[in-house]
Amino acid sequence: MNALQVIVDGIVKRNPTFVLILGMCPTLGTTSSALTGMSMGLATMAVLICSNAAVSAIRNVVPDKVRIPVFITVIASFVTILQMVMQAWAPALYSSLGIFIPLIVVNCILLGRAEAFASRNSVLLSAADGIGIGAGFTLALTAIGLTREFLGTGAVFGAQIFDGRYGALLFILAPGAFIVLGLLIALFNYIKKR
Amino acid sequence: MKSNLKTMTISLTVLTVLAGAALGIVNFFTADPIAEAQLKAKKEALAAVLPQFDNDPYEQCTTVEGLSVYPAASEGQAVGAAVESFSDNGFGGRVTILFGFDIAGRAKGYSVLSHSETPGLGANMQTWFDDEGTSHNVIGTSVPLKVKADGGEIDAMAGATISSRAFVEALNKARSVFEKFTAQQ
Repeated sequence: MNALQVIVDGIVKRNPTFVLILGMCPTLGTTSSALTGMSMGLATMAVLICSNAAVSAIRNVVPDKVRIPVFITVIASFVTILQMVMQAWAPALYSSLGIFIPLIVVNCILLGRAEAFASRNSVLLSAADGIGIGAGFTLALTAIGLTREFLGTGAVFGAQIFDGRYGALLFILAPGAFIVLGLLIALFNYIKKR
Repeated sequence: MKSNLKTMTISLTVLTVLAGAALGIVNFFTADPIAEAQLKAKKEALAAVLPQFDNDPYEQCTTVEGLSVYPAASEGQAVGAAVESFSDNGFGGRVTILFGFDIAGRAKGYSVLSHSETPGLGANMQTWFDDEGTSHNVIGTSVPLKVKADGGEIDAMAGATISSRAFVEALNKARSVFEKFTAQQ
């Protein structure tokens, strides 16, 4: 198992959104535009790389029975650091993602990767898994955000393609998130099967 | 690793001490930039809604009826004030809006500071009400307003009458506070 293969697997074979179907709350909540979806993906990826590497580094000194609280503490620390850094140097982005940044702590992708991968593999491979899964999550959220923003407001990354008044508002609202997510999961698996 | 009371206690203690220390260090470096960023956002909103001023409205903030009032002055002359107003009757709860008034009491501009309105509907209030020359413009008005659905003169946002009512309520509240503020001066 080499690092590159782990990264590719994270994007395709173990894509957190389209294959593992994990982390649905931020997926549905932050994808009303391509930019916020992508930002959320990148923020999660940053925490995931750090937490995977840290969990892997301490995997041999953590007693089995307290490993879950240990993982959660590690993840929560990195999320809090990210939150403070974003508030200081990217306040506009922070306010647009709002409550979803602190909620990265309870994103099951992070605990899932810590338990299923980082606690069993080397630091290098765990960081690679963080990159791969994080990139898969980012790509998925960007794709959902892009679709919703285009159908709902006629724009792509804020650049107007057709008049926003003809947009189907449904896609900006919560039901549209479920519809787009379902269709993209189907499309992803259709392409993957072929 | 084997779990017994000793290893569990030690590992959890060491981890929480390390995590606490790391957060303390990051907080040490980010506390000032965070405060600066929040102040800058507030000052930018003030500059956007007020007439030209050369004082520091943020420093001279006073409170009238529970709302913050930021007086603006140019060369020692009062030129207007901004009022941080709110309404709890938005579609998603509280809407906080900063309104600027010139010295004659005309609405000069506004900036939506926080809201939970529906994207694409009520969330459009930031651009809907300052479209001069239209029937939904509030800039330049100097009397309490109502939306058309309530027999007033302001066109509500399509599909977002409740959000529009909340906006107008916040504006009227700000205007009454502004008038009390100028009467005190």
